Amino acid sequence: MAALLVLSVDIELAFAHKAPHTKEQMAAFEQVFMDQVKAGDLLFHGDPATEKRLGVKLSNTGMACAMCHPYTSDTHPQEFPKYQEQMAKFATLRDMINWCIEKPNEGEKIDPDGEAMKALEAYIYWSNRNSKLDPGRH
Amino acid sequence: MNDRNSLRLETGQRRRGPDGQRSGAATMTRRIFLHNSLFLGAAGAVTYGFFPLINTLDIAVAATGKSFKFAWISDTHLYPKDVNTRFVEKTVRAIKEVQAMNPPADFLIFGGDLAQLGDPVELQLGAELLKEVTIKKVYIPGEHDWYLDMGATWNKMFGESPWSFDHKGVRFVGLDTVSGAEDFWTSRKMTPKERMGHMATLDGTLGGAWAAVGAKQLKWLNDKLADWPKDAPVVLFSHNPLYEYYPPWNFWVRDWREVQEVLKPYTDVTNIHGHTHQVLYNEIGKLRSIGMLATSWPWPYAPEGVPVLTQPMIRADPGDHFDGVGWSALTLTAAGNVENEYRMWRNEVLATAPVDSGTEDNRNQVLSPRVADRI
Repeated sequence: MAALLVLSVDIELAFAHKAPHTKEQMAAFEQVFMDQVKAGDLLFHGDPATEKRLGVKLSNTGMACAMCHPYTSDTHPQEFPKYQEQMAKFATLRDMINWCIEKPNEGEKIDPDGEAMKALEAYIYWSNRNSKLDPGRH
Repeated sequence: MNDRNSLRLETGQRRRGPDGQRSGAATMTRRIFLHNSLFLGAAGAVTYGFFPLINTLDIAVAATGKSFKFAWISDTHLYPKDVNTRFVEKTVRAIKEVQAMNPPADFLIFGGDLAQLGDPVELQLGAELLKEVTIKKVYIPGEHDWYLDMGATWNKMFGESPWSFDHKGVRFVGLDTVSGAEDFWTSRKMTPKERMGHMATLDGTLGGAWAAVGAKQLKWLNDKLADWPKDAPVVLFSHNPLYEYYPPWNFWVRDWREVQEVLKPYTDVTNIHGHTHQVLYNEIGKLRSIGMLATSWPWPYAPEGVPVLTQPMIRADPGDHFDGVGWSALTLTAAGNVENEYRMWRNEVLATAPVDSGTEDNRNQVLSPRVADRI
């Protein structure tokens, strides 16, 4: 919340690019991002409180994403978009996240533009931030 | 200091610059390359279509000259039935197949992680399912069986570890590699369920390097082997691998160097381990290690690669929860070999091309530890 407050105070300057960014702004941008990463981390590891807060049910089997993907291994965000065999279609990372929720986890598909999806996406991208971009790779 | 430790020290010094940071420009000598290949795997060194499905190891069955079989099941990760039954179904399938072995196995070793969260309901469910196996059964614990009540229910139901027995000229040893976590829970005032939750998370931060044999058990192992001929076969069962494969996920025991020292005089030692949920094979000195499949789900290979002697398993289909999992039938043959046959529930077990390999899948992947559980 503190980060959002700093952002709201400085938002005009930040978006107008009429003045150099301040350290406080940069810290606030980072904080907004890392808050999403942490929320995504908790969702990815099956935290019930975060699921409840964001109104999602990612699994009905007791399984969490991280049980097959420790450190988000094998999620390969750097390879999307690509043809995804399981769905038999050209797919984005968000498509794949929802496929995993619906199929292996037997959970409830989430809004592809919703808060939970953005948090999961933030965590997966952050965890793989040093991977080589390689879209389309199977 | 033995050669292996010298190599590790040399490797570590060369990989780090004067400030202690890793240097990408470090000179790679042939010795270091071989060493790195053994411990970390080398992307270009893994071969395809080279190793047979069955790993054949040179272990003499000196006493009898007769072959015999035993079976391994582990990592069933059972939940209470009202949460899910998928893991029950796969455990039942493995148990039926073990029971149907012809000729029958002499015994079944259950290699740990019977339960998902150490719940007595889960452990009781596992005990009920395993009653269907009528041959001799021996057990070692996994961390998922342990950290709800610090092994009280497990030990009561399945007996304490370590243990050993001699069978047809082979000394079999079962180790506890899971109970040695540093106490992260008391100062944080955690409930037993919270402690178990952290320990049950493979990529969790708080559990730390919990996998260990420990000084007391090392002494027990040393004493237990003292009267055993140095060239006679020893088979060690452990939940975690007895070498350093990938410490962040406890794909090791933290005191593996000391384990190697205890085993050094013995020329035929095979470690069969669970926990990693994947096809693995490695040799460190005279110790051979074979990683077993889980019945529950396959873990991805470690981000840094696999031991160079491992032919990777095939990429599993995430849409089929019977894929990439199974159990193992192991035979000590009359010719003096141990054969491990992965009973994975699919036709192709080992990758024969990079595109189908569980390691090639990670080629462009660089991962980071999680952040949200650092409390």
